Amino acid sequence: MGRLSREAWAQRLGAFRASPSAFMAGPEGEDLGRDLLSDLRSEKLSEQTKVSLLVLSLEYPAQLWPDAPAAEAAASSLLDTLVLLPPRPSALRQPLLLAATTALAAGGALGPTSAASRRLLPLLLGLASGRDLGRGFGPASEQRPLQATACECLRELESCKPGLLGGCLGLLRGLLGQEGPVGPVQPLSLLLALALRNTLVTQARAGAGLQGLLVAGVSPAGASPWNWTLAEDGDAHLQPQAPSWLAAEEGECGLAALEPSPEEARELRAAVAQLLDTSYLLTPVAQAQLLWLLGWALRGLRGQLPVLFKTQLVRLLGTAQLTLLHAVLALKAAFGEALFTAQDEDLLLRRLTLAAQHPALPPPTHLFYLHCLLSFPENCPLGATGEEAAPLLLRPQLCRGLLPSLLHDPMALLARLHLLCLLCAEDEEKDEKGQGQSPQRYLGELLAGLRQRAALDGGPRALATLCFQASYLVAHCLAGQPTVMTSLTHGLVRLYRDRPVLAPHFVDLLDRVGPELGEPLRVALRQEVVSRPGKDEALRWHLQMLAKVADRGAQSGTLRFLQAAAAHCTDWGLQQALLQVCRALLRAGVRGGLADLLQALARQLEDPDGRDHARLYYILLAHLAAPKLGVALGPSLVAPALASSLVAENQGFAAALMVQEAPAPIRLSVGPRRAEGPGPVLQLQVEVLEPVYSLELRFRVEGQLYAPLGAVHVPCLCPGRPAHPLLLPLQPRRPAPTQLDVRALYTTPAGLTCHAHLPPLPVNFADLFLPFPQPPEGAGLSFFEELWDSCLPEGTESRLWCPLGPQGLEALVSRHLEPFVVAAQPPTSYHIAIRLPPDSRLLLRLEAAQGDGVPVALRTDDWAVLPLAGDYFRGLSAAA
Amino acid sequence: MAQRAVWLISHEPGTPLCGTVRFSRRYPTVEKRAKVFNGASYVPIPEDDPFLKALLFELRLLDDDKDFMESRDSCSCINKTSIYGLPGGGGELWPVVAFQKNDMIYACVPLVEQTLSPRPPLISISGISQGFELLFGIQDFLYSGQKNDTELNTKLSQLPDLLLQACPFGTLLDANLQNSLDSINFISVQKHPQKQPAWKAGTYKGKPQVSISITEKVKSMQYDKQDVADTWQVDGAVTCKCDLEGIMPNVTISLSLPTNGSPLQDILVHPCVTSLDSAILTSSSIDAVDDSAFSGPYKFPFTPPLESFNLCYYTSQVPVPPILGFYQVKEEEVQLKITVNLKLHESVKNNFEFCEAHIPFYNRGPVTHVEYKVSFGQLEVFREKSLLIWIIGQKFPKSMEISLAGTVTFGAKSHKKQPFDQICIGGTAYLKLHFKILDYTLTGCYADQHSVQVFASGKPKISTNRKLISSDYYIWNSKAPAPVTYGSLLL
Repeated sequence: MGRLSREAWAQRLGAFRASPSAFMAGPEGEDLGRDLLSDLRSEKLSEQTKVSLLVLSLEYPAQLWPDAPAAEAAASSLLDTLVLLPPRPSALRQPLLLAATTALAAGGALGPTSAASRRLLPLLLGLASGRDLGRGFGPASEQRPLQATACECLRELESCKPGLLGGCLGLLRGLLGQEGPVGPVQPLSLLLALALRNTLVTQARAGAGLQGLLVAGVSPAGASPWNWTLAEDGDAHLQPQAPSWLAAEEGECGLAALEPSPEEARELRAAVAQLLDTSYLLTPVAQAQLLWLLGWALRGLRGQLPVLFKTQLVRLLGTAQLTLLHAVLALKAAFGEALFTAQDEDLLLRRLTLAAQHPALPPPTHLFYLHCLLSFPENCPLGATGEEAAPLLLRPQLCRGLLPSLLHDPMALLARLHLLCLLCAEDEEKDEKGQGQSPQRYLGELLAGLRQRAALDGGPRALATLCFQASYLVAHCLAGQPTVMTSLTHGLVRLYRDRPVLAPHFVDLLDRVGPELGEPLRVALRQEVVSRPGKDEALRWHLQMLAKVADRGAQSGTLRFLQAAAAHCTDWGLQQALLQVCRALLRAGVRGGLADLLQALARQLEDPDGRDHARLYYILLAHLAAPKLGVALGPSLVAPALASSLVAENQGFAAALMVQEAPAPIRLSVGPRRAEGPGPVLQLQVEVLEPVYSLELRFRVEGQLYAPLGAVHVPCLCPGRPAHPLLLPLQPRRPAPTQLDVRALYTTPAGLTCHAHLPPLPVNFADLFLPFPQPPEGAGLSFFEELWDSCLPEGTESRLWCPLGPQGLEALVSRHLEPFVVAAQPPTSYHIAIRLPPDSRLLLRLEAAQGDGVPVALRTDDWAVLPLAGDYFRGLSAAA
Repeated sequence: MAQRAVWLISHEPGTPLCGTVRFSRRYPTVEKRAKVFNGASYVPIPEDDPFLKALLFELRLLDDDKDFMESRDSCSCINKTSIYGLPGGGGELWPVVAFQKNDMIYACVPLVEQTLSPRPPLISISGISQGFELLFGIQDFLYSGQKNDTELNTKLSQLPDLLLQACPFGTLLDANLQNSLDSINFISVQKHPQKQPAWKAGTYKGKPQVSISITEKVKSMQYDKQDVADTWQVDGAVTCKCDLEGIMPNVTISLSLPTNGSPLQDILVHPCVTSLDSAILTSSSIDAVDDSAFSGPYKFPFTPPLESFNLCYYTSQVPVPPILGFYQVKEEEVQLKITVNLKLHESVKNNFEFCEAHIPFYNRGPVTHVEYKVSFGQLEVFREKSLLIWIIGQKFPKSMEISLAGTVTFGAKSHKKQPFDQICIGGTAYLKLHFKILDYTLTGCYADQHSVQVFASGKPKISTNRKLISSDYYIWNSKAPAPVTYGSLLL
């Protein structure tokens, strides 16, 4: 593909972004990566367009360069482009560095044997250390941003290959500590912190010490800055380095193995102090990253290191920044009492509590802080880890502002409700006097308010959902408190009375809560339903509800309700719902009155399916003992009995609904060629060994040589009866032979749906041949000459020798090439013009045949056709 | 602490997909790490369209909620944070940080550096807060000073370039995107002799000046009931803009209170504040206020960034609400009889920029007829919106007390036109006050020009201003139940 304009690229990028997978499967997919790399050097495109190309490569390297060699080549090409930039300011240097880094790291090409890696790494380190790399690397004004970018690239490589920069620690420390004109502090700090963390972890794992790696400004003698041995254990070092948040104990992360010598400990302490001292120069998010990294790095190490963080804490606790407070919590989890006394812990909790409700902060932050409160890393945790719980120091007095009210949005309400439930659970343990405004009473009023809203006729479903979520949460947390469960049960039954249309929510709730709420609620709801006259507008919901709650209790009431309801079950849906209740009763072991009801239903119901159904249940009830009945009705409950469940209970029906894999009773072959029409069409002959109905043949072409093919449908085929040939139009994107993968989906005379894989069908080169429109009588030769001349200079010409059989040239042409002859002087000279879709041509001159063969002169405008044409003629002669 | 991908989605109810992906960015090197860290529990980032569908469904923003759907409506699907799991190809994508603001949905997926089954607690994932900060940063950038769709589109088109600066590999470097934009435009030729903060793109050149503005918002819930206490609270924000030369100028601002002022509590400061008095750190609304409470001056030493920033936020518990009122609604057949009484407290500056009482009627038909008598100001009627607005104006009368009495008649309810409200069911109703007073704070808090210390070359011009505005100032119908908070039940 040639160079694209800005608009063409914009369009192409748009199409790619809309759906990368669809684009890559399309005709343009293959070339995208190559075009992108070459157009980066085009002089016609603006820098802005090139940046957008680079941004695409930053996001989708795996699609553009799917394997490691391709990624390696791409990175090399990007580096070449970088080196070739003229020495004036350019917006491309920075994204080119990012793109080369991304291509190597994401493409899996990063390694000591990769040439691109060996170019990129020294370049990055040179830029990062502010060395003068010559005029090729842009004007002085760009040095500083490039230095920062190079640090970021190194940080990303170190993230992907932990330990890689182990040899650079001293160098980085030196850079950071430089007096006088200095490089950017933030990128260097973050890079050093990450490399330090990774080195500590990998060295500890290897059982090695720090080996003087940390001494500022010094690289260990003779050592390369790249530590591939540390980084080269595949991805082993990427194994989670902080497997458990709460595991501050020594040895948990293996760092205890690293026992630094007094000298090493001093260097380590100096490095950490150096990083922390300048941390105020970092943006808040970067400060947070630094604290996480250092917290991770030093956790489990012996010594006084945590104290170094102390000076930062007061400053950090005062801010409203989510990342900073989160990082303080990480330090709390990592060091516990070593860094936070009981008073500090109390202060942190208070700050967290006020941040969780501060009006200046956005709601998502409140919710996250609330989560942090309930997962607070306490110095002395009680109870199981992993479960959310209110920390010991979080007294009810502190939580007053964090309790829910109806004015909160659903998420805040549920989060605060959880806290309220935890308080209620504690409250019960402490005192049961219940004087004044106890949390329980408040909880009761809140739930009542939620139910009132859920009962609102025509209100949005979200309100109902919220009410049931709150009920579930309360049932989950306060299952042990009978008073709460009783009032919850009463409230829910009242809600059902007000709005039976919520039956699906009730069924869902009953499925999920434990017996403490489930049992009383089931009984109360059953009573509620059966106490109604059986002719309600909401009958559908009552039946759905009853199918869930009906059991042996209050049989007579239930049966009476069903009898009354039967008369009103006029449509199929209601009858099925009614039968579902009967089925539930059958399973529960209700017998007596149920037999009468089923008999009555078997006579009375209007729908034959319903009648059959009732009869089946009656027969089952009459003939099977209770345990067997349970088994018989048990398993297929999984399949909702929406279609006729009479049959659903039958194994055969399941088989009938499934597609069976089968050996094909179908034979497919390619028939004679049809060289006519606008495109090539394959003529298929189909034979069957047994009758086949609703046959669908699906074709698939490997690769992207052809456009996807449509399926072919045949209503019915019988053995021995000749079938019409099936026509399969082909749409090649290149004039090349291929194979079609064929699958058949059909129905057998027994009604089973089967699926079969048929042997692949070859599409030959000659199957693609199409004639040119017939020129007027006598103009054949000039038409041919014109085509012949037009092939060059873009195309190519070739000559070959085609051996002839005993019948000679005339027979060969008439057998194979007749439709394409444009001009001829039989039997010695033939001019043949062949159209090859999508837009190629093949022209042949067969002249001056000799006894055993004929010289063939051929021209084509498509180089790729040449070998195919050669094969074709060799095939012809072999056949002859 | 890195992000695997970021999206911006505009919510467009009524369209076939109910939304459009306006921006997305993926980070393949982070994705590669996710694959290793998450192991068997790894779920790849989906393409934009399936992500859009799954997220809108999860956020209940698709238009169809007619039928009960277990995956969305089940009582056990409880979300208590803005972090979701989205079903997709081969498993559930988790954690997806997402929230909606101004019809725009912000979403990202942080890297979790361990296996996802069992799910680790959110607090242990550093990428969660980083993700939030990135999304907040994008939100601030898009909506600060933005007035119309064209500007929004311009800003959206700048995002790819900005993230190249602020988040090149998925690890956020600066949540202040405006800063990144400035640093693109700002080319520093010389190397600085002093270390320059990463949160400052350049240095200021020009006349030195410092401006400080204090904005207090007062909110209130008034019930006029025996068993429910009224509540009110003030929250304040101090915004600064410091135009000072030099890389790291030091500034100290002190906030002071008059002798009868209300102490500031729950103080949160900007990260550029270098140190804090422990009395500031510990004064909190959680504790009961007594006379010994720290009442200033509140000193904030800091090195300012270039842009305007919020130096600190605070709350305060003032002794009385600025306007005390009651609202009574009696239902008489198709009419509502309403009575409103409002009283401005004598200590409050009686000079408003504006003062209005909005009286909405929910879950009813349109207003067809109103008869009323006001002791002061005038009443506007918005029939279709079922809303009355009582315009009180610039001053309360000498008596400081005003009243409104009237009857409102409603037409037949048609579901679509009239406003629905899930709180105002039955007799539950409220009126909401909107007012603004310039050069005044309810706490009395002020920044004295002479107390501002600046350690930089040149004497800066210092300007200060103050204002009080109402926010969520509700007076509930005292004749019907009203939503209460736990605090108002503690009599």
